[in-house]
Amino acid sequence: MSAEGQAVVFEEVSKFYGEVLGVNRVTLNIPPGITSLVGPNGSGKTTLMNLMTGLIHPDHGRILVRGLSPRDPEALMRITGYATQYDTAPRWATGFTFLTTSLLLFGYERREAEEKAWKALERLGLTEAANRKVAAYSKGMRQRVRLAQAIAHDPDVLVLDEPLNGLDPLVRAETIDLFRAWAAQGKHVILSSHVLQEVDVISDQVVLIANGSIVAEGAIRDVREEIDEHPSQYLVRCRHASEVASLLFAEAHVTEIKLNEDGMGMLVMTRDRQQFARSLARIALDGHRIDGVVPADENVDALYEYLIGGE
Amino acid sequence: MVRPDRPFPTRARQTWTIARIELRRVFFARHSFWVYGLALLPAVIFFGHGLEAKIRGERLAQRGLAVPALLDSVREGETLDEVKERLGAPARERWSVRSRRVRRATGSAGTTTHAIDPAVEARFVRLNITNPSYSGEPRARIYEFEVYGPQGRENLAFGRPATGSIPCSPAEGPEKAVNGSVAGGEQDRWCSYDWPLYLQVDLGTTRPVARFVVKHASAGGESDESDTREFNIQVSTDGKVFTTVETSSGAAFVEERTEYRELIYFDGRRQARYLFVDGRVDNRSVRPLLDFEEDRAIFAGIFQFFYLRLAVFFGCLGLFMYLFSGEMSNRTLHYWFLVPARREVLLAGKYAAGLIAASVIFGGGALLALAALVWPQDPVAIQAYWNAGGLRHVFWYTTAAVLGCVGYGSVFLAVGLYIRNPIVPAAVLLAWEGAAGILPHVLQKASILYYLQSLCPVPAPIEDDVPTLIRLLIAPAAPASRPGAILGLLLLTAFALWIAAKAVRRMQISYGSES
Repeated sequence: MSAEGQAVVFEEVSKFYGEVLGVNRVTLNIPPGITSLVGPNGSGKTTLMNLMTGLIHPDHGRILVRGLSPRDPEALMRITGYATQYDTAPRWATGFTFLTTSLLLFGYERREAEEKAWKALERLGLTEAANRKVAAYSKGMRQRVRLAQAIAHDPDVLVLDEPLNGLDPLVRAETIDLFRAWAAQGKHVILSSHVLQEVDVISDQVVLIANGSIVAEGAIRDVREEIDEHPSQYLVRCRHASEVASLLFAEAHVTEIKLNEDGMGMLVMTRDRQQFARSLARIALDGHRIDGVVPADENVDALYEYLIGGE
Repeated sequence: MVRPDRPFPTRARQTWTIARIELRRVFFARHSFWVYGLALLPAVIFFGHGLEAKIRGERLAQRGLAVPALLDSVREGETLDEVKERLGAPARERWSVRSRRVRRATGSAGTTTHAIDPAVEARFVRLNITNPSYSGEPRARIYEFEVYGPQGRENLAFGRPATGSIPCSPAEGPEKAVNGSVAGGEQDRWCSYDWPLYLQVDLGTTRPVARFVVKHASAGGESDESDTREFNIQVSTDGKVFTTVETSSGAAFVEERTEYRELIYFDGRRQARYLFVDGRVDNRSVRPLLDFEEDRAIFAGIFQFFYLRLAVFFGCLGLFMYLFSGEMSNRTLHYWFLVPARREVLLAGKYAAGLIAASVIFGGGALLALAALVWPQDPVAIQAYWNAGGLRHVFWYTTAAVLGCVGYGSVFLAVGLYIRNPIVPAAVLLAWEGAAGILPHVLQKASILYYLQSLCPVPAPIEDDVPTLIRLLIAPAAPASRPGAILGLLLLTAFALWIAAKAVRRMQISYGSES
């Protein structure tokens, strides 16, 4: 099995909804392990997931999931489980029948299908509610029953759209353990989130998406480095702002300076945080009074906002 | 990529699994409960018809049954007593009397005679016409006005000077009423429409008068509708003071009474109605309470014009059009797309579910209607029907209903995948199916109805007074042979399903707000 054969591959994939852009020229190579698609609402995460499971078809480009085309659900869905964000279930379905009917379609005998359904429900802590109508479940339970349905047939590629949304902390920790166990078997766990911190820790790789395009991609360490290379923002408070600004602007790593209107401060953008710290120290030593330096994007969210939103 | 621990279901098994799951949805879909109403309507109609006949038969039989042979023995012209004596008391007797006002005959046509007793002295006699005709025409027509003495045979008015209201024409003056003749046609009368209408004769001297004779329009050969309806006669000795001596309404009206009587006899199967007019049989009909043959012809009509054209048509629309679009709006369609099954398998499964439901509903509806048709009939007639191939009829009716579901189902499944709103395609298809009869032969073959009509065992009855255009529309096209019809229908179905499969392969989940 080639490396590409084991990966989820997007090649120059574009998808439009009428005139509206869904995703634009996405090229991705997702190896097994936990991969998080991160981006704000409407950035194209769901579109990417629907594309790789064949719910929608790309207008351009090619997608292969472990060597299979999403146009061939008969083969693809055998190894894929997808828990969508669509919060619906057939009216007739109880948690248990919902899972068993789907497993019957995978070709399992009834007894085996019921066993697997029960195992999946057990794993998600839904055994008590198994014989109640899904329509009567709470939002979190419906989230879990969809997750249970996605894992019931033991797929190699698990696609989960906002799986942690609406889960209470305890269940969330259990669910994350489940993802880890899955990934440890060399399988794909592809999940989406609009909160970077939420998946930062658990992901082997992160794909940042904004406006239908990939902003950053790779192992979480690589993404962090990539973030380091991107300009950082600092808020500098000082007496003679324009003088300090002209000194700073002479430095090669500084890309942009915005002076505050009161002349008492400025917003500095730099490509190199360490160089910037050294420069600022030098300026202070030269006798310019610096009242304070505050990183404007220290928290992860701000950084991420900056990455995907700052042009 | 196939791992040995994963089972590989056959596509047929997947299709059946999908169909089983979908069946529940199709049978119990709240939005398609009306389909059951359509399917059961003929059964309800025939059941009601049969029940009504049964109850009627029970009621009639309570009064005693007549001897069958005697029912046919009654002839027109027989009297009420003769019939009752021979057949006994009827199961039901109804009578009514109708009366109407008719004109009393005048006797000698158009002539009225008015005797004055005792005789009066008169020099001037005057005829005042207050209502000049029966027809309502305001025109007085008097051919002759004669005056006689107590013994006299001589017409005292003959040739005397006459005056009156202005005549219709100079040739129709008052002198024509005293000229002693009525035979000269319209030129031989006094005519006037100048109100007040009167005719006055001067007898020359005062003399006793005892009798007047007035000859009206019909005496001169005109219609009796033009006869004078109301008038009076006055006399005077001086031409100034007149006394009324006679008031006549001409020919009066009388009541004419006619007695109608209906006797109904029942021999357990046939019902005889005898209508008596004034005590004599005027009309007779002996018919079975339930006419199996007639009912079967009605069934054929209802089956073709209502059941196949409308009930199965709209029923399949309701059951098949929403198989995909209904799940799209419920946001549950993606579950089907996420199972390891080809889209064609999903299509086949859903079609099978719709087809099973539609066949059960409409095949069952047809069977129930046939049962309701046969149930109340005479056992002998039923036996004869079975012997004459009745079961074959039942088979072909049911087959036509089921094949209707096969054809219309595939068409509406395909239509539902391309168009969401059912109204426009339904109207277009209905028009197409309806108009197929007047299309060229090649185009007829693209209509489901064309094949279904070829399968119906009994041609639908078309009354003779149906206008030609409608006859063309409803008359079945040149029928195909049965195997040909089934083959053609299946080919049409396969084509519709192929179109549907193309759409399903391309289908994408779009629930509106994507993120």
